[in-house]
Amino acid sequence: MIPFEQLLVQAINGIVTGMILALVASGLTLIFGIMDVVNFAHGDLFMLGAYVGTTVFVTTGNFWLALLGACVTMAALGAALQITTLRPLLGRDPLTTILATFGISLVLQNYALWQYGPVPRKIMEPLTGHFQLFHIEYPWYRLLIAMLSAVIIGGLWLFMKYGTYGIWIRATTQDRLMASAMGIPVPRVHTGVFAIGAAMAAASGVLFAPLVGVNHAMGFDFTLRAFVVVVVGGMGNLGGSILASIFLSLLEAFASLWVSPAQAVIVSFIVLILTLLFRPTGLFVPTPK
Amino acid sequence: MTERWQEEPWAQDLWWSGKTTRRRFLGLSAATAAALGATMLVPAPWRKAFGQAKPYKVGIMQPLTGVAAAGGKTALVGSMMAIDRVNKTGGVNGRPLEAIVADYESKPDVGRRKVEKLLVEDQVDVAEGGYLSNVCVACMPVFDEHRTVFMVGVCLDTTITTTKCSRYVFRPFDYAPAQAVAFAPYLVSKLGKKWHIAYLDYAWGQSTRDAYAAEIKKLGGEVVGTTGIPLGTADMTSFLSKISGSFDGFFGIFFGANAVVLATQAYDLGLTKKYRFAGDGAVAESTHLPALGQKVEGFTGINRYIPVLDPPLNTPYHKRFYEEARARLKQIDPSGPDPDRYVQSNFEAINFLKLGMQKSGFRGREDTMKLIEALEGMEVKESDDFPQGDKTLRKEDHQAFIREFIFDIKNNKHRLLEVISKEKTFVPPACSFQKA
Repeated sequence: MIPFEQLLVQAINGIVTGMILALVASGLTLIFGIMDVVNFAHGDLFMLGAYVGTTVFVTTGNFWLALLGACVTMAALGAALQITTLRPLLGRDPLTTILATFGISLVLQNYALWQYGPVPRKIMEPLTGHFQLFHIEYPWYRLLIAMLSAVIIGGLWLFMKYGTYGIWIRATTQDRLMASAMGIPVPRVHTGVFAIGAAMAAASGVLFAPLVGVNHAMGFDFTLRAFVVVVVGGMGNLGGSILASIFLSLLEAFASLWVSPAQAVIVSFIVLILTLLFRPTGLFVPTPK
Repeated sequence: MTERWQEEPWAQDLWWSGKTTRRRFLGLSAATAAALGATMLVPAPWRKAFGQAKPYKVGIMQPLTGVAAAGGKTALVGSMMAIDRVNKTGGVNGRPLEAIVADYESKPDVGRRKVEKLLVEDQVDVAEGGYLSNVCVACMPVFDEHRTVFMVGVCLDTTITTTKCSRYVFRPFDYAPAQAVAFAPYLVSKLGKKWHIAYLDYAWGQSTRDAYAAEIKKLGGEVVGTTGIPLGTADMTSFLSKISGSFDGFFGIFFGANAVVLATQAYDLGLTKKYRFAGDGAVAESTHLPALGQKVEGFTGINRYIPVLDPPLNTPYHKRFYEEARARLKQIDPSGPDPDRYVQSNFEAINFLKLGMQKSGFRGREDTMKLIEALEGMEVKESDDFPQGDKTLRKEDHQAFIREFIFDIKNNKHRLLEVISKEKTFVPPACSFQKA
């Protein structure tokens, strides 16, 4: 029999990890939903954002400036990548964009290794306290990340719902040609979306960095999970991705109480396979009529 | 407004039009060919010193991209440092060493393919390197098939020199059973009797866990639980939160970025304050310390190499190795880290090959058996070739026995606590070679 306190600890772990994952996945799902681009470089934007964060952190000693600096820099880089690499491929076979983002991913990884070297870097968390949660000390910083993720995702939702640019983005998602005919600068909208996605990746990279250290491979695990989340939540569905992130993280956290960590990790992939088999549009979207 | 921005008038001169003319293609091809040709005409650095002497080709396999790239790049520094030093001091049997580096992308299948290429296409005389144990294990049959000596540079999976041992494969550094024999008395007598072991759930982690569990039990201690965590897990909190109960020490068997994640998150959850934190030295390699800061303070570990210049590591050999390794590491990492065990063991692996080739009069792969016989049972002394200390490369399983260093981390630096002589690390061989 698993003690109740273990269940509660794992519930908190699942929600917190789910919110971090949701922030990574929301950038990915935004880019896919609007541009139909499966961005294999998302994890590398996450990683490079964290590296840029370390540079700003070392220079200023301020975590929040590091977060802001990384977001701005990666948004600019994201825009540049979209203009130079993805725009010319617009309207071509989706495979070409997959290959292009895969290429960007390799370039960014090797650039980070070349520029920063193999030694992992550190960003100090802005909040170092703990509170006692049954048998463990739980860091306040993990709760702060979960809350900041919720704030960032909430801000994105408000922007999409009420902002002029957000309305342009939604119009472009619904009908690209009609949006263009109505005077919406579709190429600029795409650039903007990619820049926002890159900035969100950078934000998650900087927020997550104090928990793992910054290294060139830090994006691998979370990006793989983010892809699972995007499929399970419904490709391009922001709300679905958030729910799927929390659902899968909770599932994995609870599973680890009964099975080994290696088996608990497999649970996410079982859900992915079942989703693809029985509900390929995603678990958190209305049933297609 | 057009759908494709490069079709807009302002972009016509800015963006590639998509037309590839014959003139443009030939022009670009000629320029590329000229650049490549000019590069190839520049002789390799060792050519001047050795004239027409045919170089020995040394195949070096390391993960230079993918998840393990950081470790692979550090490991390569050791190999290249040794090869450059050999070439500067007259080469081997009057011939230079030529490194042919293969990047196996941190994947076993790519590793096998790259090793095949080294052996079949590049026709290397000997091979060195490794890093990831699963890649080493996957590649061992290829070395057997092509009857070529492979001097392992890093891989620590116990089975490489026990159940899966090969006549063609040598490990010139320690392995988990020897480390466990050296470290377990300290763990049980000075840190605590009851332990929980967290390990990386793959070949190396599992075999190291078994070795420590056996030794701790043998000395009257107890392993109350184990937690295996998959390679590359970025958030271990759910798995570490489960660890609770009454025991004395928390023992970690992790390396690379995984070790940084473990130490950080175990500290964040209060595990390393509640229990004594100890483990394989790979948890607190010098290259991890900047990222771990105070979170690894007090960690006690065992390692074959630590970057300290206190006795008995205050030898001129070690000082020279340390200085040059630091200078070379600064070239690949601006933070200028101290050398770690990956630099040391790859450096010494090349030097073992050098001595074996000298002793056997090795000419090429046709003399592989002579080289194996020369290496089997080789005893080496602390020197510029082996700054870590004396070594015995045992004939029965091709496993080296070396001195070990028990250390802790104080003020974010290694502090040497005890030196365990190589004689105290001997464990019986558990290998039976197939006929070569």
